[in-house]
Formats: sequence, structure tokens, C-alpha cells
Amino acid sequence: MSDEYENKSSYQAQSSETISGTGSGVSPDMDYVRPAENPEQDLYHAHSFIEKWVFCQDAKVIGVQYFLTAVFTGVVGLILSWLMRLQLGFPGLAGFITAEHYYQFVTMHGMIMVVYFLTALFLGGFGNYLIPLMVGARDMVFPYVNMLSFWMFFVAVAVLMASFFVPGGPTGAGWTLYPPQTILEGTPGHGWGILLMLISLSLFVIGFTMGGLNYMITILQARTRGMTLMRMPLTVWGIFTATVLAMLAFPALLVSSIMMTLDKLLGTSFFMPTILKAGEVLEYGGGSPILFQHLFWFFGHPEVYIVALPAFGIVSDLISVHARKNIFGYRMMVWAIVGIGALSFFVWAHHMYVSGMNPWFGFFFASTTLIIAVPTAMKVYNWILTLWRGNIRINTVMLWCLGFIVTFVNGGITGIFLGNVSVDVPLSDTYFVVAHFHMVMGIAPLMVIMGAIYHWFPLVAGKMLDEKLGKWHFWTTFLGAYSIYFPMHYLGFIGVPRRYYEMYDSPYMTSGVGLNEFISTAAFIVGAAQLILVFNIVKTMKTGKKAEKNPWKANSLEWFTSTVPPEHGNFGERLPVVHRWPYDYNVPGAEEDYLPQTAAPSEVAHTEVEKT
Amino acid sequence: MSDPKIEGFELEKGFRGMAKDTGSDQTMFKGVHWGKAMMWIFLLSDTFVFSCFLIAYMKGRASTPVEWPNPSEVFALDAFGVPVPLLLIALMTFVLITSSGTMALAVKYGYERNRKMCGYLILATALGGLTFVGMQAYEWSKLIHEGVRPWENPFGAAQFGSFFFMITGFHGTHVSIGVIFLFIYCYKVFAGHYDEGKRGWFTKMRGDYVEVEILGLYWHFVDLVWVFIFAFFYLW
Amino acid sequence: MEETKKKSDQSSTHKIGIYLWIWGLLFVLSFFSYLVDWYQFQGLLRWSLILFFMFLKAGLIMAFFMHLYWERYALVNVLLWPMTAIVCFVALMVAEGKYTLFSRLFYFFVGG
Repeated sequence: MSDEYENKSSYQAQSSETISGTGSGVSPDMDYVRPAENPEQDLYHAHSFIEKWVFCQDAKVIGVQYFLTAVFTGVVGLILSWLMRLQLGFPGLAGFITAEHYYQFVTMHGMIMVVYFLTALFLGGFGNYLIPLMVGARDMVFPYVNMLSFWMFFVAVAVLMASFFVPGGPTGAGWTLYPPQTILEGTPGHGWGILLMLISLSLFVIGFTMGGLNYMITILQARTRGMTLMRMPLTVWGIFTATVLAMLAFPALLVSSIMMTLDKLLGTSFFMPTILKAGEVLEYGGGSPILFQHLFWFFGHPEVYIVALPAFGIVSDLISVHARKNIFGYRMMVWAIVGIGALSFFVWAHHMYVSGMNPWFGFFFASTTLIIAVPTAMKVYNWILTLWRGNIRINTVMLWCLGFIVTFVNGGITGIFLGNVSVDVPLSDTYFVVAHFHMVMGIAPLMVIMGAIYHWFPLVAGKMLDEKLGKWHFWTTFLGAYSIYFPMHYLGFIGVPRRYYEMYDSPYMTSGVGLNEFISTAAFIVGAAQLILVFNIVKTMKTGKKAEKNPWKANSLEWFTSTVPPEHGNFGERLPVVHRWPYDYNVPGAEEDYLPQTAAPSEVAHTEVEKT
Repeated sequence: MSDPKIEGFELEKGFRGMAKDTGSDQTMFKGVHWGKAMMWIFLLSDTFVFSCFLIAYMKGRASTPVEWPNPSEVFALDAFGVPVPLLLIALMTFVLITSSGTMALAVKYGYERNRKMCGYLILATALGGLTFVGMQAYEWSKLIHEGVRPWENPFGAAQFGSFFFMITGFHGTHVSIGVIFLFIYCYKVFAGHYDEGKRGWFTKMRGDYVEVEILGLYWHFVDLVWVFIFAFFYLW
Repeated sequence: MEETKKKSDQSSTHKIGIYLWIWGLLFVLSFFSYLVDWYQFQGLLRWSLILFFMFLKAGLIMAFFMHLYWERYALVNVLLWPMTAIVCFVALMVAEGKYTLFSRLFYFFVGG
């Protein structure tokens, strides 16, 4: 047993001595940081290929595994969206897309993108990779459970993908899976498809719970010395709050999945009202479809923020690093993230204004929805004020960040339209809604993901991505995404309903035909443009220039690992000791334009900020 | 448990202490073992699962225009020829609370490093849990004999059976998982794994008596959920 | 882990009496809530008694068996505040349940 832990003796637990600064003539007291509370983490080092790359317990490898699996599902989702656009833009061109297939594409595209792509990518991918590095931990606190979490997610994805190949195909009920039609004959995939979807969702929730516990406890209980909650990078705050939301919101999804599975398999009637079919009364009766909608959206609305909050956090860090300026109103940003997270549990029924729920609810939920816009707007102001008079580097990362701000403001403002009951009623179930949520939780977080890839690629792979290709990638994606979703608002205004297979000769399509063709063409181009990134990564791995340590001159701990890319255990013999927040850029009096979080006050006694 | 001593950090009481703990570095829950914090957060998440079940049940029951069966008659049991309302449920509650009490004592003796006492009490808890599951199986089979099915029942609204089997089934699954772990931990305590800090079979983490408390938290939570199910399902 | 061991040795465990008291109290409270059904109280009295005994039992289990009474406020507050979301959900679903019943009676039985 002992050789598995050979490094343990070299990682000596840090006792009460402090790391004294190199500056002379200053009192060493000012560098005092309390001794370590947690004993040195006892890491299990892999010693076979399988333990190192397959059933790996290192959070960084798990993060990459999550990332790649999520990207795989994302590519499937992208292809489905192409097929949908092919049908919408050029009806009848591809004969194999029947109405049933179209609904299956819509459903799977939605579910894949929201749950299996964005959630898994942000929390599983970025969360696993960045949390231990950013809070100064050697690994997640429960590496074994973390490994199980990924494999549970993998099985969930496998089950989901299997539903493409079962008799009847995947479910075509729309990503919200509203009963009663979801499990009734006539809906595509009402047999095996919906069953596999529900099983896959349940597995996802179980797997995510295991991961989420890790993220939360690592952030709350395993920070390094000197790392207070208010010195954490906003990335960690965003991922943390999103994880809290996920831990509390996924139960509702699990419960609704279980109940619907029982409705399907056992013939219970939780969600199934009395139904007449071709003059005959079905076995079901007495259930409440609205109940499903409440449970689903009690999960579904926090889910929106589970995707958005990590994006908010990451973009704050990227903007600060690349504008060489501290984030404006850090505490306000933290409280805005927490406030959005808390409020997100009180707004769910704004998705249900036209569902036939208690009409008084409209008042309550419209109010809470507009209240939640306040912290969100505060964040936008703070991003802009961070850029204000910053020393901005217009590189690829910054371009993605700017693209995010524009897209997010755009999507956010249409959200205020839809949050008001009286405006929502005519707009609901039109392409306006589609444009709104794709802008705000599709394109905007995607911009952040792209920015984050360009930003952290040097850390993960040790090589710099090509800037020129990156800029091409950005501009095609940004302009292309706007070409897709901007015209959709107009389609919504003229009343084109979403989820329709074909518009035939309906009156509003006279002006919509050309637009739909344009949108579809743009969608094909944007999707294909993502190959630039793939090409960029392949090219960089082959011939790209090696990244120096901390190439962006950032402050947060992930850039101060003992090796690049970081090894198992992250920080070598000693864990870093933190003395300041990660946003000390351009501090007056400092030699460099950045002060790492580890810079002790005595080292920088001559500057204007000794300690933050 | 009682406040730990932390070098270089003064623990204060109440909300002031909360602010100080939250604002400090390294840990937010001072002196709380990682595993224990994880179990608490998991239980919070699980609370939401059971809350959603019970809320769905409440919504279903409140909105049915069909007569809801009277639980005190449905769950009555004949004792010496006299129907006693909720007799079996009362016994199940008794068993579960008993096992919860033995678990609490097991945690206490675990921290006192009293291996024998701790082990026997965990064994008692496991047997209590097993009895509970057995009684639940009896209850289910009795109801099934009387014609209660997840999709219909002879007493009234069809949703009665659906919610009953789903919620008690989910709770029973929790109890069963708990019983399995109780037996495993019982073995580990008696084998002295926590005294010598033996590494776990899968996680390779060193064992410690805090694990008994972590399991205890889970077991008390199962009891806690039963309190709510008892109130809302059987008494309402 | 060595340190954890040291800590657990230091922390004094609670006297056995407190557990036995709570244990007994739980039996008594369960008996009382059983009596609510036995005497067939109805209406508001039944509801308030059920809820009263339920919350008292839940509180005792959480506070003493799960040691929450002795935990620091940071943990206690993290665990209890999320319940406001559940309370809101319950309150709204009470209203929704009533509305669903109303609309069912109105449209199916009265006839709209």
C-alpha cells in the first residue's frame, strides 16, 4: 500500500510557520496567514493507463473527460439543428425529414443542448478543471465520487444516444416533455424513446449530484490558506452558485421523471387527465398536467441560471484579465450572482403564463421576474465599467467577451418583454421566444465557452491557440449567430409559431419565406465555422508555439501551478498562500501590471494596495 | 458536535460567529469533516426530492373532485377482531424511532471509541430498519390483496394508490439502502477499521469514527422523512 | 486524517441522558399524533395538531439526533434557508390545487 502514497511524505502539512516575504525592513507580521486547518489531502496516485486516463480520480482529467463528452453531445445537437433548419428553410428539399422526425430533432436538440451540453460543460468540464486550481486545493475533496460522477454522466449520455436507435426513435414531445401528449400514441417515440429519455435524465441527476457535492464541499471546506470566499475568482462564485441551484433544482426534475415513468409503465395518472381518443375514454383519468409543468419549471428556471451563472463568472474573469483592470464592484458582482441564484427559485411559472394555471400567479411571477432583472442588469453595468478606461487587449478572448455582452444584453431585453404577462400572451409560442432564449442562454454562454477555451487552452495543453484563426472563428460565429437569431424576432412579431414542421401557405409566411431561407443558410455557415476551432486546435497541437507560464499575466492561482499543464496534486510541495483577491491589475506603484494572489504584502509594501 | 479548537482562529457564537466563519479563509463550516458536510448537503438535496413528492401529492389530492379514501379506515388493522386505525403504521413509527435512538447512541459511543457498544448499537439499528422494511412489505401486500393498485383502488380516487406506492416505495428504498450500509458499517466497526484508520475498499480513504456519524445523519433523515409521511399521508 | 482523530478525541461527547430524553419525547409525541387520529379530531384542530406534532418531532430529531443544535450557525443557516423555496412552492401549489379543483367542478360538473 505504501508506495501508492509515496508523495505524501513530501507534501508536508503546513504547520504554523508563515511564508515570510522577501522584502526587508517591513514587519513580517503583515504577511501572517493562519495555519492550515485541513490536514494535507491524501491523494491516490494512478499507476496504470486505465487509472490515469479512464477511471481517473484526478479532477483535471475528469474535467477534460466531461468536456469532451459534452462537446460530443453538442455536435449531435448541432447536426440536429442543421436538419431542422434544412426543413424550415427549404421545406420538402430533404425527403427523409418527416414531421415525426422533425419533432424528434426539436426535442433532442433542446434537451441535449440545455442539459447534456451546456450544464455538463460548465459544471462538469470547467468546474472540475478550475475549482481545485482556483481555490488552491490539490484535488476535489472526494476524488472517487468525482470519478463515479463522470461515468454516471457517460452512461446517461449513452442511454440518451441509444434512444436514436430504438424502435420508434427518440421522443418527439418537445424538450419540455409536457404530458399528456408525451406518452400517448401519436407522439413520435412515445414508447421506448420517452422511457430512455426519462431514465437518462434520472441518471444524469444522480451523476450530477455526486459531482455537485464535490464542487460545493471543495469550495466551502478545502480552500487554501488565505483564500476567503471574497477572494475567490468570480468564475468559482458562478460555478458554485450554479451548483447550489443544481443541487436544489434537479430534485424536481428527478421527481417529475419518476412520476412520468410510472405514468408510462404502470398506468398511474399523476399527470394524465381523462382523455377521449377517437370517441373512446382512455384508461387514464384524474391527473393534472399542470402539476408536471410546475415541477418541470421549478427545475427548468433554475436550470437557465445553472447555465448562465458560470458564464457570468467566467466572463467577469476574462474581461478583467484582458482589460488589465480590476473587476468593477467585485462584491456587488458576488451578491448579484447569489441574488440571482436565490431569486431563480421564485420565478418559474413565467414559463406558464398561457398554460391555464391560477390566473393570479401571473402577477406574482411577473413581479419576481422583473426583480431578477435588477441584479442581472447590475452585472452588465459592471462589465462595461470594468472595460471603461481599461488597458484593453483586443485579442480573441476579449472579442468573445464583447460578443457575449452584446448578445446577452440583446437576449436580456427581449426577456423583459416576455416576463410581462400581457406582452407574453401574444408572443408566447412564436419565434420571438425561440430568438430570446437562444440569444440569452444559447449564444451568450457559448461565446463565453469559446472565450474560455482560448483563454485556458495554454493551461490545459501548454500551447497557444492561433490568434488569426481565432479571430476568423469569432467573426463568422458572431455575425452568423446574429444573422440567425435577429430575423427570428421579426418572424415572431408577425406571428410565426414555433415547433411547426412546415408553414404551408399560411398568410404570415409570405414575408417569412425569404427570411427562413436566409436564417437556414446562416445556420449552416455558423455550424460549419466551428470547424475553424477544431482545425485551430489540431494545428496548435502539432505546430503551435509553446505557451510560457502564465501567458496572459493573470493573477488567479490556476496559473501558478508547479508545472504547466498542472500535474496531479496541482501545486507541488507547498500549497500556495493567498494574500489578495485575483484582480490586482495595474496597481499604482507596482513594477508589473499584475500582482498574483500569492504576492505577500511585504513584497509589495511600496504599492497602493498591500492587502485586499 | 461541540466546537473544535482551531489554531489561530477564535470561534464566536451565534450570527456574529456565522459572519466570521463565512468570512474566514479555508473552511466555512469550522471543524466539520468533509464527509459530514457532504452528507448534510446531500440530505438538503434529498429533502427537495421528498418535498417535491409531497407537494405533488398535496396538489393531486387537493384538486381531485373524486372522494379521497379515508386513510384511517384503509390502514386499519384487525387486532383481536377489533379494527384499530393505523395500528401497523403506529408500530412502524415505533420501530423507526427506536432505531433512530439506537443510532444516536451508536454515534455517541463511536466518538467515545467504544468499539463494542458502537457495533452492537449499529447492529440493533440495522435490525430495526430490517423490521421496518418487513412491515412495509406486509402493509403493501395487504393493500394489494384488498385491491389497491398504483392505477386504481376500490376506495376512491385512483391517485391514492399511485402516490401511496410511489412515496412509501421511495422512502422504503432509502431505508433499504440505509440497512445495507448499516450492516457494512457494523462489520467495519467490529473489525476495528475505524480504530486503526484502515483504508476504504473503493475510495481508499482512511476510516474514522466520523463515518458512523455520517451514516447516522442519513439514518435520522430517513426517520425525519417518515415523520412527514406519517403526518401527511396517514393522518391527513 | 491524524488531525481529525485528535479532534474527535478532544471533543467531549454529550451525556447519554439527553439522547434518552429526546428518545422518550419522540415516543410520547408520536403517541399524541396517533391520538389525533384515534379521537378523530377534524377540521382546523386536526390540522394544527398534526402540523404541531410533526414539526416538533422533526425539530427534535434534527436538533439533537442530527446534532444541529450543537452545530455552528454557518451550517445551520445554509441548511435551513433553502427551505423558503419549498415553503413558497407549497403555498403556491395550495392555491393552484384549489384553482384546479374549482375549474374542474366549474367546467365538468356545472358546465362552464
